[in-house]
Amino acid sequence: MATSMAAPTTTGRAGHRTSRWKGVAAVGVLGIALVVAPLVSSPYINYQLSSIAVFAVAILGLNIVMGYTGQVSLGQSAFLGLGAYIAAYGILHGWPGPLTLLLCAVVPAAVGTLVALAAARLRGLALAMITLALPIVGVPLARRFADFTGGSQGRVVSWLRAPESSGLANDQWRYYVVVLIAVVAFALARNLVRGRIGRSFAIVKENEAVALSMGVSPYRTKVLAFTIASLLGGVSGFMYLAIVQFTSPETLVFATSINLVAAMVIGGSASIVGSALGAAYYVLVPVLAGQVNSSRTALISGVVLLAVLFALPAGLVSLPRRLARLRSSSRRTQHPQQDPPTPDEATRSASAPSEATTDQHS
Amino acid sequence: MSFFIQVVVDGLSNGAIYAAIALAIVLVYRATALINFAQGGMAVAATFLAYALTRAGVPVLLALLAAVVFGFVLGAVVERGVMRHFEGGDPDTAVVATIALLVILGGASAYFFGYEPHQFPSLFPNKTIEVFGAFVSLRSIGTIAVLLVVMVALQVLFRSTKLGLAMRAVADNPQSSALSGLPVSRLLMIGWGLAAALGAIAGVLVAPQLFISPGMLDFVLVYALASAILGGLDSPLGAVVAAAFIGVIENLAGAYLDFIGDDLKIAVPFVAVIVILVVRPQGLFGRKVTVRV
Repeated sequence: MATSMAAPTTTGRAGHRTSRWKGVAAVGVLGIALVVAPLVSSPYINYQLSSIAVFAVAILGLNIVMGYTGQVSLGQSAFLGLGAYIAAYGILHGWPGPLTLLLCAVVPAAVGTLVALAAARLRGLALAMITLALPIVGVPLARRFADFTGGSQGRVVSWLRAPESSGLANDQWRYYVVVLIAVVAFALARNLVRGRIGRSFAIVKENEAVALSMGVSPYRTKVLAFTIASLLGGVSGFMYLAIVQFTSPETLVFATSINLVAAMVIGGSASIVGSALGAAYYVLVPVLAGQVNSSRTALISGVVLLAVLFALPAGLVSLPRRLARLRSSSRRTQHPQQDPPTPDEATRSASAPSEATTDQHS
Repeated sequence: MSFFIQVVVDGLSNGAIYAAIALAIVLVYRATALINFAQGGMAVAATFLAYALTRAGVPVLLALLAAVVFGFVLGAVVERGVMRHFEGGDPDTAVVATIALLVILGGASAYFFGYEPHQFPSLFPNKTIEVFGAFVSLRSIGTIAVLLVVMVALQVLFRSTKLGLAMRAVADNPQSSALSGLPVSRLLMIGWGLAAALGAIAGVLVAPQLFISPGMLDFVLVYALASAILGGLDSPLGAVVAAAFIGVIENLAGAYLDFIGDDLKIAVPFVAVIVILVVRPQGLFGRKVTVRV
């Protein structure tokens, strides 16, 4: 995406073709890296990489409903937890894996649809309230229905061992399973948001009255966005259980929903690549902050979050654009005269947020 | 019967806690049209200052006043130093900035005072009196009384003062307000400062009951959000009524419905809030907003 954005600056068709080849090459390099990474990494690294894949799918769902459709959701952790519980139940009852995965997608999607049918009439904060209630009500429900959930202790599973013939360790095998699911989810989501449905999401976010006048039903569009978000949330729950092999009421606490929203905005709202970057942020920053100073993890994470928001209000995904802009503006000042930046340019680089927002429209 | 009254009174005293933070949320919303997740964090930071002062031998009332002043300054500084940067941008980014502030303030409080809860001296004598066979602590009565005073003061501020009118105008439309000569940025600072000062009052009032810790208000914040939204978000009276309603029905459901019990009682007010919002999207006391193209 970043490469196609850069295309208009180089001239003509040749530039477009090279940028296209660059895009293909980038996807190829990324694919090879994804395949090779677990073979050369320690189990600990593989666990972190797999966690990124898990939360990338959860954040992708959140991005569809919040980033693309503009509807606040503070309940994504409830769908993640529901998916994890369904997966645990299925495994402990010996259901086949693909069937379990299917149910982990369908049941949360159905729950999401039901909630959205009531909630999508509402706007803004009333909607936030209803989605917020899902994890708040979900946690005590999970504790209560211990037959299904294992109560406060949760459910431990031992599942998804690497087959003998593959010659892989368990952590490598699980990595490949979750990354495969994540890649499929991302490819489907990318096509979705680029097509007709993605355009209807965008117009509903922009202005519901205009959407209506164009024959797009805001209500149906919002219900659809919620359904997709909860479906992806449920799938990420399945992946979560595959990696962590454990789930408890802690999986669906409200704080997780809040952190997922923060990660989505940090990665890049209304961006597919941004969802993956947000997941990397979600998983890695607490780990790194804990290594810097384990008793100050919260303080460091908070400061990093605020610093990134200051520097990149449009999310990590806007970093290449921002760097390119900084480089070109410094080259302009250095070349003609060796003076320090003119006041005009100094003010421009100081007003970071407005610059980044206008960027998107250019 | 006396058991019923006891349950209701306990519910009202919980509701008073929710209402205190809900009022602060309403205040920020009316001043800036933004939901502030850092509200609880700012209140806890101010309460910790009061805690440090009482530990040093300062009377509770003076510590409360110091916390209120500190809260006002903290709120104003946060608005000027952090939130100003996100004005006019994507509202999602601004809300996430308040989440970052919540995490930072919690981390900072833990840095100085640790995560474990501490005892906090009460502003009111620790006695109970008997009313219609129910035992009511003077602390609850005091909390409710302070809260009602604050609510009336806020209602007066917004309804009948120039400052309140100007703050409402800024929240409604910052550009038009600036064009009419209102000092928009100063008004926003005052709004955040007042909300944080109110949070400081709430924190000092509830700390004796909840014990002070960085996470003291995490759960209260969720109830307070529910109260503020149910009350219609721009009505101080609505927020207080909604908070009392939530506190009471939660306690009643926990006491009288066997299959709900103590663990599931939190679900009752939230389900009730959902049902009410679906029927009446603008909340109990909110005005209906019509959106024009």
